[in-house]
Amino acid sequence: MGYVKGLRCRECGRGYPKESLYVCEYCFGPLEVDYDYEGIKEKLNKEVIEYRAKNLWRYRELLPLDGEPTVGLESGFTPLIRAVNLEKALGVKELYIKDDSVNHPTLSFKDRVVAVALSKAKEFGFDTVACASTGNLANSVAAQAAIANLKRYIFIPADLELGKIVGTLIFNPILVAVEGNYDQVNRLCSEIAKRHKWAFVNINIRPYYAEGSKTFGYEIAEQLGWKAPRNIIVPCAGGSLITKIWKGLKELQNLELIDRIDTKIYAAQATGCAPIVTGIKENSDIIRPVKPNTIARSLAIGNPADGIYAFRTVKESGGWAEDVSDDEIVEAMKLLAATQGIFTETAGGVTLGVTKKLIEQGRIPKDESILICITGNGLKTQEAVTEKIGKPIKINPNIASFEENIGRERRM
Amino acid sequence: MTKKMVKLIFPQELIKEPVTFRMAKQFDVIPNIRRANVTGTVGELILELEGQDERIEEGIEYLTKLGVKVEPIVGDIIE
Ligand SMILES: Cc1ncc(COP(=O)(O)O)c(C=O)c1O
Ligand SMILES: [Zn+2]
Repeated sequence: MGYVKGLRCRECGRGYPKESLYVCEYCFGPLEVDYDYEGIKEKLNKEVIEYRAKNLWRYRELLPLDGEPTVGLESGFTPLIRAVNLEKALGVKELYIKDDSVNHPTLSFKDRVVAVALSKAKEFGFDTVACASTGNLANSVAAQAAIANLKRYIFIPADLELGKIVGTLIFNPILVAVEGNYDQVNRLCSEIAKRHKWAFVNINIRPYYAEGSKTFGYEIAEQLGWKAPRNIIVPCAGGSLITKIWKGLKELQNLELIDRIDTKIYAAQATGCAPIVTGIKENSDIIRPVKPNTIARSLAIGNPADGIYAFRTVKESGGWAEDVSDDEIVEAMKLLAATQGIFTETAGGVTLGVTKKLIEQGRIPKDESILICITGNGLKTQEAVTEKIGKPIKINPNIASFEENIGRERRM
Repeated sequence: MTKKMVKLIFPQELIKEPVTFRMAKQFDVIPNIRRANVTGTVGELILELEGQDERIEEGIEYLTKLGVKVEPIVGDIIE
């Protein structure tokens, strides 16, 4: 096992050894994992993959470990659903949901990247892991570091949703709530990373960590019968997931596991934090940072590290981008729940809201296959909807009270 | 002396001004440019600043006041 050749700069192409490096020392571009695809091609085919256990390690040759995975052994391979009710509601022909709101162990797609990051951190011999997070990454690093017996330091913006804080603290990390937004938290963490020899999953382990998101793309293709859908809508914060879904599909094509890619990729953000969407709409490959202000806190990254690569992904695939208001986010969360029985978090509201908008605009044709990436769970962001879904009907414990409040009304 | 990797984003009206040079001179900071990208409406410069800690921070503040967005490159190389 182990097909990693080394790291390579995404900008100038310079090669580096497979260590915990992440920035090119010449051009300051980000480093990416470089594989021996010829070797992988000899080993990997559909039968081999399909025979393996249903978790993200079924694609292990395409993930950056040298040894066996040790963390996140049950992560990935989440349901891919044909969304029949939502098809009707949106007036489209063929609609799918890839549902990472039920990923193991912490109910978001971040369980994928953390499975890879912590397995790699253990391989490097780190005894402490850390991250800067908008919430879901915090949950996953805290939980999976507990499984892996690693010390854990988690840095979050102080105003995060209660569900995300509780869902982190329960795993007993050192949780640091920074009075500032995510970009300030991240800036602080880059200073801390210089002083402490920790595995910062989204800093010095980033090239490895990010590779975990490719499995979201692999699974989409495999679960559709080794085919890529025509349209994929992806929520964006740092811009890594969207970039890696695209990379994953291209790898499958190079390995001849799928025939062709006829897929357009669409970026989804909240209007209150849409630096990537703005870049795409203005056709500017320089992503201008913004100050986030949205209920979609998990997507509230104003200075996206992979913004430029998200931009290139959308352009290369021929897709587009759109953003939605906080009200539209809540409406979409309710629509998904009412039609498909999935309670997604605000990020899922962003993705479905944007999908609806793009269909209405005619950007996504109604008769083509569409796949919506649902990446997080609504139980973590309950305050977003608490005041907007009505109240339970209170009655006394007798039949008269029931009839008076409910029965009669229903019969009329 | 410290080194800091930063990304400078210039609005259109500043693209043609030698603001980086002025900052470097005024605060005694050595800029070492690694990459640049300019479109019609916005410019991006990726560089390393070398100088006294406080002087670098003052230089960054000077640029920010002029309307340049200064973003750290996350993260700086661990030495
Ligand atoms: C639920 C959810 N969806 C999507 C994203 C976006 O991922 P990326 O930062 O890779 O763009 C995040 C990131 O935090 C997230 O928490
Ligand atoms: Zn480089």
